[in-house]
Amino acid sequence: MPAGKKYDRYNSMLVVPVRMHHRFRALMWRHVMNARRVVVAAALLLATFIGSGGTAAGQQPEPPRVPDLSGGWLRLDSGSGSFDGTVAKHPPAELTAAGRSMVVPGDGRNLIPQGGFTGPAKQAGEAYIVNSGACTPEGTGGSAINPNSTAIFLLQSKDEVLMVREGPGGRRFYMDGRAHPDLAKLPPSMYGHSTGRYEGNALIVETVGLTEGNVQGGGKRRPETRLTERFELGSGGKRLTITYTWDDPVLYVRPHIYEYVFERLPEDSYAFETWCDASDPLQRQSIVPPKQQ
Amino acid sequence: MRKLAAALLPVAAILAGADPLAAQTAAPHDISGYWELPVDGRFVPRARLSPRITPAMIEAEARKTTKAIRWCNWVGMPTTMDVGRPLNIRQGAREIVIMAESPVAPVRHLYLNRKTHIDKDTFDPTTSGDSIAHWEGDTLVVDTTGFEPTKGITEIPGGGFRTASAHLVERYRLLRNGTVLSVKFTWTDPSVFQTPHSYEFRYQRVEKGYEPWPYQLCDPFDQERAAFLEQRQ
Repeated sequence: MPAGKKYDRYNSMLVVPVRMHHRFRALMWRHVMNARRVVVAAALLLATFIGSGGTAAGQQPEPPRVPDLSGGWLRLDSGSGSFDGTVAKHPPAELTAAGRSMVVPGDGRNLIPQGGFTGPAKQAGEAYIVNSGACTPEGTGGSAINPNSTAIFLLQSKDEVLMVREGPGGRRFYMDGRAHPDLAKLPPSMYGHSTGRYEGNALIVETVGLTEGNVQGGGKRRPETRLTERFELGSGGKRLTITYTWDDPVLYVRPHIYEYVFERLPEDSYAFETWCDASDPLQRQSIVPPKQQ
Repeated sequence: MRKLAAALLPVAAILAGADPLAAQTAAPHDISGYWELPVDGRFVPRARLSPRITPAMIEAEARKTTKAIRWCNWVGMPTTMDVGRPLNIRQGAREIVIMAESPVAPVRHLYLNRKTHIDKDTFDPTTSGDSIAHWEGDTLVVDTTGFEPTKGITEIPGGGFRTASAHLVERYRLLRNGTVLSVKFTWTDPSVFQTPHSYEFRYQRVEKGYEPWPYQLCDPFDQERAAFLEQRQ
Protein backbone atom coordinates (compact mmCIF):
# COMPACT_ATOMS: atom_id res chain seq x y z
CA MET A 1 0.00 0.00 0.00
CA PRO A 2 1.45 3.41 -0.91
CA ALA A 3 2.53 5.61 1.97
CA GLY A 4 -0.26 7.83 3.25
CA LYS A 5 -3.04 5.85 1.61
CA LYS A 6 -4.65 4.93 4.88
CA TYR A 7 -4.87 8.52 5.98
CA ASP A 8 -6.66 9.43 2.79
CA ARG A 9 -9.15 6.71 3.54
CA TYR A 10 -9.78 7.91 7.03
CA ASN A 11 -9.99 11.51 5.96
CA SER A 12 -12.50 10.63 3.33
CA MET A 13 -14.66 9.01 5.97
CA LEU A 14 -14.77 12.27 7.85
CA VAL A 15 -15.03 14.57 4.87
CA VAL A 16 -17.84 12.89 2.98
CA PRO A 17 -20.58 13.65 5.51
CA VAL A 18 -19.56 17.33 5.57
CA ARG A 19 -20.01 17.50 1.83
CA MET A 20 -23.46 16.02 2.23
CA HIS A 21 -24.19 18.54 4.91
CA HIS A 22 -23.85 21.35 2.35
CA ARG A 23 -26.13 19.45 0.05
CA PHE A 24 -29.02 19.19 2.45
CA ARG A 25 -28.44 22.53 4.21
CA ALA A 26 -30.64 24.59 1.85
CA LEU A 27 -33.37 22.01 1.96
CA MET A 28 -33.35 21.89 5.70
CA TRP A 29 -33.51 25.66 6.17
CA ARG A 30 -36.36 25.95 3.71
CA HIS A 31 -38.64 23.52 5.48
CA VAL A 32 -37.53 23.36 9.09
CA MET A 33 -37.53 26.39 11.33
CA ASN A 34 -37.06 24.82 14.69
CA ALA A 35 -33.36 24.58 15.63
CA ARG A 36 -33.87 21.49 17.75
CA ARG A 37 -35.50 19.71 14.83
CA VAL A 38 -32.54 20.74 12.66
CA VAL A 39 -30.13 19.04 15.04
CA VAL A 40 -32.13 15.84 15.23
CA ALA A 41 -32.82 15.63 11.53
CA ALA A 42 -29.25 16.39 10.57
CA ALA A 43 -27.90 13.80 12.96
CA LEU A 44 -30.24 11.17 11.60
CA LEU A 45 -29.38 12.00 8.01
CA LEU A 46 -25.67 11.87 8.74
CA ALA A 47 -26.03 8.64 10.63
CA THR A 48 -28.07 7.12 7.85
CA PHE A 49 -25.56 8.20 5.26
CA ILE A 50 -22.56 6.88 7.16
CA GLY A 51 -24.35 3.76 8.25
CA SER A 52 -25.47 2.91 4.74
CA GLY A 53 -21.96 3.42 3.44
CA GLY A 54 -23.55 5.23 0.52
CA THR A 55 -21.48 7.02 -2.03
CA ALA A 56 -22.72 9.87 -4.11
CA ALA A 57 -21.91 9.86 -7.80
CA GLY A 58 -18.32 10.87 -8.47
CA GLN A 59 -17.19 10.31 -4.91
CA GLN A 60 -14.61 7.84 -3.69
CA PRO A 61 -15.73 4.29 -2.98
CA GLU A 62 -16.49 3.39 0.60
CA PRO A 63 -13.36 3.15 2.72
CA PRO A 64 -12.78 -0.15 4.49
CA ARG A 65 -14.72 -0.41 7.71
CA VAL A 66 -12.27 -0.80 10.55
CA PRO A 67 -13.24 -3.89 12.52
CA ASP A 68 -13.28 -3.48 16.28
CA LEU A 69 -10.61 -5.99 17.20
CA SER A 70 -9.54 -4.25 20.40
CA GLY A 71 -9.89 -6.22 23.57
CA GLY A 72 -8.98 -9.60 24.99
CA TRP A 73 -9.15 -12.84 23.02
CA LEU A 74 -8.74 -16.42 24.17
CA ARG A 75 -7.69 -19.14 21.74
CA LEU A 76 -10.19 -21.93 21.37
CA ASP A 77 -8.80 -25.42 21.71
CA SER A 78 -9.57 -27.26 18.51
CA GLY A 79 -7.40 -30.21 19.39
CA SER A 80 -7.32 -33.02 21.87
CA GLY A 81 -6.71 -30.93 24.95
CA SER A 82 -2.92 -30.81 24.76
CA PHE A 83 -0.66 -28.30 23.07
CA ASP A 84 0.41 -30.80 20.45
CA GLY A 85 -3.13 -31.94 19.84
CA THR A 86 -4.17 -28.52 18.62
CA VAL A 87 -1.22 -28.31 16.27
CA ALA A 88 -1.97 -31.80 14.96
CA LYS A 89 -5.19 -30.44 13.44
CA HIS A 90 -3.24 -28.10 11.19
CA PRO A 91 -2.56 -29.24 7.65
CA PRO A 92 1.04 -30.42 7.35
CA ALA A 93 3.49 -28.09 5.69
CA GLU A 94 4.77 -29.17 2.31
CA LEU A 95 8.47 -28.41 2.41
CA THR A 96 10.96 -28.33 -0.41
CA ALA A 97 14.16 -30.32 -0.12
CA ALA A 98 15.85 -27.19 1.18
CA GLY A 99 13.07 -26.74 3.71
CA ARG A 100 13.33 -30.31 4.91
CA SER A 101 17.07 -30.09 5.31
CA MET A 102 17.03 -26.75 7.07
CA VAL A 103 18.44 -27.10 10.56
CA VAL A 104 16.70 -24.90 13.09
CA PRO A 105 19.19 -23.60 15.62
CA GLY A 106 16.65 -22.00 17.93
CA ASP A 107 17.56 -18.63 19.35
CA GLY A 108 20.87 -19.70 20.78
CA ARG A 109 19.54 -20.57 24.22
CA ASN A 110 18.10 -23.97 23.46
CA LEU A 111 14.65 -22.86 24.56
CA ILE A 112 13.04 -25.77 22.84
CA PRO A 113 14.70 -29.11 23.59
CA GLN A 114 16.25 -31.09 20.78
CA GLY A 115 13.47 -32.58 18.70
CA GLY A 116 10.79 -30.68 20.58
CA PHE A 117 7.46 -30.33 18.76
CA THR A 118 8.65 -32.40 15.82
CA GLY A 119 7.39 -35.82 16.88
CA PRO A 120 3.87 -37.19 16.93
CA ALA A 121 1.28 -35.62 19.20
CA LYS A 122 1.67 -36.66 22.81
CA GLN A 123 -0.95 -38.77 24.48
CA ALA A 124 -2.94 -37.40 27.37
CA GLY A 125 -1.07 -38.11 30.57
CA GLU A 126 2.26 -38.48 28.80
CA ALA A 127 4.99 -36.33 30.31
CA TYR A 128 7.35 -34.36 28.12
CA ILE A 129 9.79 -31.47 28.40
CA VAL A 130 8.62 -28.29 26.71
CA ASN A 131 11.41 -25.85 27.51
CA SER A 132 14.76 -25.35 29.12
CA GLY A 133 13.47 -23.05 31.85
CA ALA A 134 14.63 -19.76 30.37
CA CYS A 135 12.12 -16.92 30.39
CA THR A 136 11.32 -15.10 27.19
CA PRO A 137 9.01 -12.15 26.66
CA GLU A 138 6.26 -14.61 25.85
CA GLY A 139 6.95 -16.95 28.73
CA THR A 140 8.93 -20.10 28.79
CA GLY A 141 7.83 -21.41 25.43
CA GLY A 142 8.66 -18.33 23.44
CA SER A 143 5.60 -18.59 21.20
CA ALA A 144 5.80 -15.04 19.98
CA ILE A 145 3.78 -15.45 16.80
CA ASN A 146 1.36 -18.28 17.47
CA PRO A 147 -0.74 -17.57 20.57
CA ASN A 148 -0.79 -20.30 23.17
CA SER A 149 -3.32 -20.83 25.93
CA THR A 150 -2.81 -17.39 27.47
CA ALA A 151 -5.01 -14.58 26.21
CA ILE A 152 -3.97 -12.07 23.60
CA PHE A 153 -4.92 -8.42 23.77
CA LEU A 154 -5.31 -6.23 20.72
CA LEU A 155 -5.24 -2.46 20.84
CA GLN A 156 -5.93 -0.43 17.71
CA SER A 157 -4.50 3.04 17.49
CA LYS A 158 -4.09 5.19 14.43
CA ASP A 159 -0.42 4.50 13.80
CA GLU A 160 -0.02 1.07 15.33
CA VAL A 161 -1.96 -1.99 16.33
CA LEU A 162 -0.50 -3.70 19.36
CA MET A 163 -0.84 -7.40 20.02
CA VAL A 164 0.29 -8.10 23.55
CA ARG A 165 0.18 -11.09 25.80
CA GLU A 166 0.25 -11.54 29.55
CA GLY A 167 3.95 -10.93 30.04
CA PRO A 168 6.62 -8.59 28.67
CA GLY A 169 6.92 -7.57 25.05
CA GLY A 170 4.45 -7.77 22.24
CA ARG A 171 3.96 -7.33 18.56
CA ARG A 172 3.45 -3.99 16.89
CA PHE A 173 1.85 -3.66 13.48
CA TYR A 174 2.77 -0.41 11.76
CA MET A 175 -0.37 0.99 10.14
CA ASP A 176 1.03 4.15 8.54
CA GLY A 177 1.87 2.63 5.19
CA ARG A 178 5.58 2.24 5.78
CA ALA A 179 7.46 -0.52 3.98
CA HIS A 180 9.55 -3.25 5.52
CA PRO A 181 13.18 -2.24 5.96
CA ASP A 182 15.94 -3.83 3.94
CA LEU A 183 16.33 -7.30 5.40
CA ALA A 184 20.10 -6.96 5.11
CA LYS A 185 19.92 -4.20 7.72
CA LEU A 186 17.23 -5.70 9.94
CA PRO A 187 18.43 -7.99 12.73
CA PRO A 188 16.15 -11.05 12.78
CA SER A 189 13.94 -11.09 15.85
CA MET A 190 11.23 -13.16 17.49
CA TYR A 191 8.59 -10.63 16.43
CA GLY A 192 10.03 -9.63 13.06
CA HIS A 193 8.86 -6.48 11.30
CA SER A 194 5.11 -6.21 10.77
CA THR A 195 3.05 -3.82 8.69
CA GLY A 196 -0.72 -3.81 8.67
CA ARG A 197 -3.64 -2.52 6.68
CA TYR A 198 -7.40 -2.85 6.72
CA GLU A 199 -8.87 -4.63 3.73
CA GLY A 200 -12.61 -5.05 3.60
CA ASN A 201 -13.53 -6.01 7.14
CA ALA A 202 -10.21 -7.65 7.86
CA LEU A 203 -6.88 -6.59 9.28
CA ILE A 204 -4.05 -7.88 7.12
CA VAL A 205 -0.60 -8.07 8.70
CA GLU A 206 2.57 -8.93 6.83
CA THR A 207 5.71 -9.91 8.71
CA VAL A 208 9.28 -10.56 7.66
CA GLY A 209 12.57 -10.58 9.54
CA LEU A 210 11.75 -13.43 11.92
CA THR A 211 14.50 -15.54 13.40
CA GLU A 212 15.05 -18.98 11.95
CA GLY A 213 12.74 -21.43 13.62
CA ASN A 214 9.98 -23.98 13.44
CA VAL A 215 6.44 -23.22 12.34
CA GLN A 216 3.25 -25.00 13.41
CA GLY A 217 2.40 -28.02 11.33
CA GLY A 218 6.00 -28.97 10.58
CA GLY A 219 6.90 -25.76 8.81
CA LYS A 220 10.10 -23.73 8.97
CA ARG A 221 10.86 -20.07 8.79
CA ARG A 222 13.79 -17.78 8.12
CA PRO A 223 14.11 -13.98 7.94
CA GLU A 224 13.10 -13.94 4.26
CA THR A 225 9.93 -15.95 4.91
CA ARG A 226 6.81 -13.83 4.58
CA LEU A 227 4.02 -14.41 7.06
CA THR A 228 0.62 -12.96 6.18
CA GLU A 229 -2.01 -12.96 8.90
CA ARG A 230 -5.65 -12.19 8.27
CA PHE A 231 -7.67 -11.10 11.31
CA GLU A 232 -11.40 -11.46 10.73
CA LEU A 233 -14.33 -11.15 13.08
CA GLY A 234 -17.24 -13.56 13.12
CA SER A 235 -20.31 -14.39 15.20
CA GLY A 236 -21.23 -10.74 15.59
CA GLY A 237 -17.78 -9.77 16.76
CA LYS A 238 -17.54 -12.48 19.40
CA ARG A 239 -15.15 -14.69 17.46
CA LEU A 240 -11.84 -13.84 15.84
CA THR A 241 -10.15 -15.99 13.24
CA ILE A 242 -6.50 -15.47 12.45
CA THR A 243 -5.42 -17.19 9.26
CA TYR A 244 -1.69 -17.69 8.96
CA THR A 245 -0.03 -18.00 5.56
CA TRP A 246 3.69 -18.75 5.49
CA ASP A 247 5.17 -18.13 2.08
CA ASP A 248 8.73 -18.82 1.04
CA PRO A 249 9.44 -20.57 -2.28
CA VAL A 250 12.79 -21.73 -0.97
CA LEU A 251 11.26 -23.56 1.97
CA TYR A 252 7.71 -24.41 0.87
CA VAL A 253 6.29 -26.22 -2.14
CA ARG A 254 3.16 -24.13 -1.63
CA PRO A 255 2.18 -21.58 1.03
CA HIS A 256 1.56 -23.19 4.39
CA ILE A 257 -1.84 -22.12 5.74
CA TYR A 258 -3.61 -22.76 9.02
CA GLU A 259 -5.86 -20.82 11.34
CA TYR A 260 -6.68 -20.24 14.97
CA VAL A 261 -10.06 -19.21 16.31
CA PHE A 262 -10.44 -17.02 19.38
CA GLU A 263 -13.32 -16.09 21.64
CA ARG A 264 -13.74 -12.49 22.76
CA LEU A 265 -13.27 -12.01 26.47
CA PRO A 266 -15.99 -10.13 28.36
CA GLU A 267 -15.78 -6.34 28.33
CA ASP A 268 -14.85 -6.23 32.01
CA SER A 269 -12.12 -8.85 31.80
CA TYR A 270 -8.49 -7.93 32.36
CA ALA A 271 -5.03 -9.19 31.52
CA PHE A 272 -3.40 -11.50 33.98
CA GLU A 273 0.34 -11.24 34.38
CA THR A 274 2.34 -14.39 33.86
CA TRP A 275 5.35 -15.06 36.06
CA CYS A 276 8.56 -16.70 35.04
CA ASP A 277 11.62 -17.37 37.17
CA ALA A 278 14.48 -19.19 35.54
CA SER A 279 16.09 -19.75 38.94
CA ASP A 280 13.18 -21.99 39.89
CA PRO A 281 14.10 -25.60 39.06
CA LEU A 282 10.44 -26.62 39.01
CA GLN A 283 10.01 -24.55 35.91
CA ARG A 284 12.24 -26.85 33.90
CA GLN A 285 10.28 -29.95 34.72
CA SER A 286 7.86 -31.73 32.49
CA ILE A 287 4.31 -30.80 31.82
CA VAL A 288 1.83 -33.60 32.30
CA PRO A 289 -1.38 -32.88 30.45
CA PRO A 290 -4.40 -33.84 32.51
CA LYS A 291 -6.19 -37.03 31.71
CA GLN A 292 -9.05 -36.43 29.33
CA GLN A 293 -12.57 -37.30 30.39
CA MET B 1 -23.74 25.63 10.42
CA ARG B 2 -20.16 24.35 10.10
CA LYS B 3 -19.92 24.26 13.87
CA LEU B 4 -23.20 22.40 13.99
CA ALA B 5 -21.96 19.85 11.47
CA ALA B 6 -18.71 19.37 13.35
CA ALA B 7 -20.61 18.83 16.56
CA LEU B 8 -22.92 16.35 14.90
CA LEU B 9 -20.23 14.21 13.33
CA PRO B 10 -19.28 12.24 16.44
CA VAL B 11 -22.96 11.77 17.26
CA ALA B 12 -23.66 10.49 13.79
CA ALA B 13 -20.63 8.24 13.88
CA ILE B 14 -21.73 6.69 17.14
CA LEU B 15 -25.27 6.23 15.90
CA ALA B 16 -23.99 4.56 12.78
CA GLY B 17 -21.55 2.39 14.63
CA ALA B 18 -18.68 3.86 12.64
CA ASP B 19 -15.19 2.49 12.94
CA PRO B 20 -13.56 2.68 16.38
CA LEU B 21 -10.50 4.54 15.15
CA ALA B 22 -12.48 7.49 13.89
CA ALA B 23 -14.01 8.04 17.31
CA GLN B 24 -10.73 7.35 19.00
CA THR B 25 -8.63 9.80 17.05
CA ALA B 26 -11.23 12.49 17.68
CA ALA B 27 -10.62 12.15 21.43
CA PRO B 28 -9.33 15.33 23.03
CA HIS B 29 -6.68 13.50 25.02
CA ASP B 30 -4.18 11.15 23.53
CA ILE B 31 -0.74 10.34 24.88
CA SER B 32 -0.06 7.70 22.24
CA GLY B 33 3.49 7.60 20.98
CA TYR B 34 7.01 6.62 21.86
CA TRP B 35 8.43 8.33 24.92
CA GLU B 36 12.04 8.41 26.06
CA LEU B 37 13.30 9.29 29.52
CA PRO B 38 16.35 11.54 29.12
CA VAL B 39 19.22 11.82 31.58
CA ASP B 40 17.80 15.07 32.93
CA GLY B 41 14.21 13.81 33.00
CA ARG B 42 14.08 12.58 36.59
CA PHE B 43 13.14 14.65 39.63
CA VAL B 44 13.38 12.23 42.53
CA PRO B 45 13.50 13.58 46.08
CA ARG B 46 14.52 11.30 48.92
CA ALA B 47 11.62 9.35 50.42
CA ARG B 48 10.72 9.82 54.09
CA LEU B 49 10.70 6.25 55.27
CA SER B 50 8.74 4.98 58.21
CA PRO B 51 10.83 4.43 61.37
CA ARG B 52 9.83 0.78 61.13
CA ILE B 53 11.97 0.37 58.01
CA THR B 54 15.33 -1.04 59.11
CA PRO B 55 18.61 -1.26 57.18
CA ALA B 56 18.15 -5.03 57.08
CA MET B 57 14.79 -4.62 55.34
CA ILE B 58 16.34 -2.27 52.80
CA GLU B 59 19.17 -4.73 52.24
CA ALA B 60 16.68 -7.54 51.67
CA GLU B 61 14.93 -5.50 48.99
CA ALA B 62 18.27 -4.80 47.33
CA ARG B 63 18.96 -8.54 47.23
CA LYS B 64 15.62 -9.05 45.49
CA THR B 65 16.72 -6.57 42.84
CA THR B 66 20.02 -8.37 42.33
CA LYS B 67 18.27 -11.70 42.01
CA ALA B 68 15.64 -10.35 39.62
CA ILE B 69 18.28 -8.89 37.31
CA ARG B 70 20.46 -12.01 37.48
CA TRP B 71 17.61 -14.35 36.51
CA CYS B 72 15.82 -12.12 34.00
CA ASN B 73 12.70 -11.94 36.16
CA TRP B 74 9.87 -9.63 35.10
CA VAL B 75 10.82 -6.35 36.77
CA GLY B 76 7.34 -4.85 37.28
CA MET B 77 6.46 -1.46 38.69
CA PRO B 78 8.01 1.01 39.12
CA THR B 79 11.00 -0.17 37.06
CA THR B 80 8.87 -0.74 33.95
CA MET B 81 8.66 3.05 33.62
CA ASP B 82 12.45 3.43 33.52
CA VAL B 83 14.15 0.65 31.59
CA GLY B 84 16.55 2.84 29.65
CA ARG B 85 14.68 2.55 26.35
CA PRO B 86 11.55 4.31 25.04
CA LEU B 87 8.08 3.43 26.23
CA ASN B 88 5.46 2.68 23.60
CA ILE B 89 2.18 4.11 24.88
CA ARG B 90 -0.97 3.41 22.87
CA GLN B 91 -4.39 4.66 23.78
CA GLY B 92 -7.56 2.86 22.81
CA ALA B 93 -11.19 3.24 23.79
CA ARG B 94 -11.10 0.62 26.54
CA GLU B 95 -7.55 0.88 27.80
CA ILE B 96 -4.13 2.41 27.46
CA VAL B 97 -1.27 -0.01 26.96
CA ILE B 98 2.29 0.79 28.00
CA MET B 99 4.86 -1.46 26.42
CA ALA B 100 8.44 -0.90 27.54
CA GLU B 101 11.18 -1.75 25.11
CA SER B 102 12.53 -4.48 27.33
CA PRO B 103 12.33 -8.26 27.42
CA VAL B 104 11.73 -8.24 31.16
CA ALA B 105 9.20 -5.43 31.64
CA PRO B 106 5.60 -6.68 31.70
CA VAL B 107 3.09 -4.82 29.58
CA ARG B 108 0.98 -2.41 31.60
CA HIS B 109 -2.77 -2.19 31.01
CA LEU B 110 -4.44 1.00 32.23
CA TYR B 111 -8.18 0.42 32.07
CA LEU B 112 -10.35 3.34 31.02
CA ASN B 113 -13.55 1.30 31.01
CA ARG B 114 -13.98 0.72 34.73
CA LYS B 115 -13.94 2.96 37.77
CA THR B 116 -13.14 0.44 40.47
CA HIS B 117 -10.37 -2.01 41.08
CA ILE B 118 -10.82 -5.74 40.66
CA ASP B 119 -12.02 -7.21 43.92
CA LYS B 120 -9.13 -8.25 46.16
CA ASP B 121 -10.60 -11.72 46.54
CA THR B 122 -10.46 -12.12 42.78
CA PHE B 123 -7.29 -10.35 41.71
CA ASP B 124 -4.01 -12.20 42.10
CA PRO B 125 -1.37 -9.56 42.94
CA THR B 126 1.14 -8.88 40.16
CA THR B 127 4.32 -6.90 39.69
CA SER B 128 2.33 -4.34 37.68
CA GLY B 129 -0.80 -4.30 39.85
CA ASP B 130 -4.32 -3.45 38.74
CA SER B 131 -4.50 -0.03 37.07
CA ILE B 132 -7.59 2.04 36.35
CA ALA B 133 -7.44 5.40 34.61
CA HIS B 134 -9.55 8.45 33.92
CA TRP B 135 -9.09 11.97 32.65
CA GLU B 136 -9.29 14.99 34.96
CA GLY B 137 -9.09 17.97 32.63
CA ASP B 138 -5.82 17.65 30.76
CA THR B 139 -4.41 15.09 33.19
CA LEU B 140 -4.67 11.32 32.95
CA VAL B 141 -4.93 9.95 36.47
CA VAL B 142 -3.91 6.31 36.90
CA ASP B 143 -4.64 4.52 40.15
CA THR B 144 -2.89 1.23 40.88
CA THR B 145 -3.21 -1.30 43.69
CA GLY B 146 -2.80 -5.07 43.90
CA PHE B 147 0.98 -5.20 43.88
CA GLU B 148 2.94 -8.38 44.46
CA PRO B 149 5.60 -7.67 47.12
CA THR B 150 8.16 -10.42 46.51
CA LYS B 151 8.67 -10.61 42.75
CA GLY B 152 10.73 -8.54 40.36
CA ILE B 153 12.41 -5.29 41.30
CA THR B 154 10.50 -3.87 44.24
CA GLU B 155 12.70 -0.86 44.97
CA ILE B 156 11.16 2.57 44.41
CA PRO B 157 13.16 5.57 43.16
CA GLY B 158 14.13 7.81 46.09
CA GLY B 159 13.85 5.00 48.64
CA GLY B 160 11.30 2.52 49.86
CA PHE B 161 9.88 -0.48 48.11
CA ARG B 162 6.70 -1.96 46.71
CA THR B 163 4.54 -3.93 49.16
CA ALA B 164 1.13 -5.57 49.02
CA SER B 165 -0.39 -2.49 50.66
CA ALA B 166 1.20 0.01 48.26
CA HIS B 167 -1.06 2.43 46.43
CA LEU B 168 0.33 4.27 43.41
CA VAL B 169 -1.25 7.29 41.74
CA GLU B 170 0.27 8.55 38.50
CA ARG B 171 -0.65 11.81 36.84
CA TYR B 172 0.19 12.03 33.12
CA ARG B 173 0.15 15.41 31.42
CA LEU B 174 1.42 16.61 28.07
CA LEU B 175 3.69 19.65 28.17
CA ARG B 176 5.38 21.84 25.58
CA ASN B 177 2.85 21.35 22.83
CA GLY B 178 2.78 17.60 23.30
CA THR B 179 6.52 17.04 22.98
CA VAL B 180 7.03 16.28 26.67
CA LEU B 181 5.07 13.86 28.83
CA SER B 182 5.19 14.55 32.55
CA VAL B 183 4.38 11.65 34.85
CA LYS B 184 4.09 12.39 38.57
CA PHE B 185 4.24 9.27 40.69
CA THR B 186 2.91 9.24 44.25
CA TRP B 187 3.31 6.14 46.41
CA THR B 188 1.21 5.88 49.54
CA ASP B 189 2.01 3.07 51.94
CA PRO B 190 2.05 3.66 55.70
CA SER B 191 4.03 0.48 56.18
CA VAL B 192 6.94 2.01 54.25
CA PHE B 193 6.57 5.80 54.02
CA GLN B 194 5.96 8.45 56.69
CA THR B 195 4.32 10.63 54.09
CA PRO B 196 3.29 9.90 50.50
CA HIS B 197 6.39 9.73 48.33
CA SER B 198 6.24 11.68 45.07
CA TYR B 199 8.63 12.07 42.19
CA GLU B 200 8.36 13.10 38.56
CA PHE B 201 9.68 11.75 35.27
CA ARG B 202 9.57 13.87 32.14
CA TYR B 203 9.68 11.86 28.94
CA GLN B 204 10.53 13.30 25.53
CA ARG B 205 8.43 12.32 22.53
CA VAL B 206 10.46 10.24 20.12
CA GLU B 207 10.36 11.36 16.51
CA LYS B 208 7.59 10.04 14.24
CA GLY B 209 8.56 6.93 12.33
CA TYR B 210 10.70 5.59 15.15
CA GLU B 211 10.94 1.83 15.30
CA PRO B 212 12.18 -0.07 18.34
CA TRP B 213 15.28 -2.03 17.51
CA PRO B 214 14.94 -5.75 18.29
CA TYR B 215 16.27 -6.07 21.80
CA GLN B 216 18.67 -8.67 23.08
CA LEU B 217 16.83 -11.39 24.89
CA CYS B 218 17.78 -11.71 28.53
CA ASP B 219 19.59 -15.02 28.95
CA PRO B 220 19.84 -16.27 32.53
CA PHE B 221 22.00 -19.18 31.40
CA ASP B 222 24.68 -17.00 29.81
CA GLN B 223 27.59 -17.85 32.08
CA GLU B 224 29.68 -14.83 31.18
CA ARG B 225 26.78 -12.54 31.98
CA ALA B 226 26.12 -14.42 35.20
CA ALA B 227 29.74 -14.06 36.30
CA PHE B 228 29.62 -10.34 35.59
CA LEU B 229 26.44 -9.86 37.61
CA GLU B 230 27.54 -12.00 40.51
CA GLN B 231 30.45 -9.65 41.17
CA ARG B 232 27.84 -7.30 42.63
CA GLN B 233 26.68 -9.68 45.28
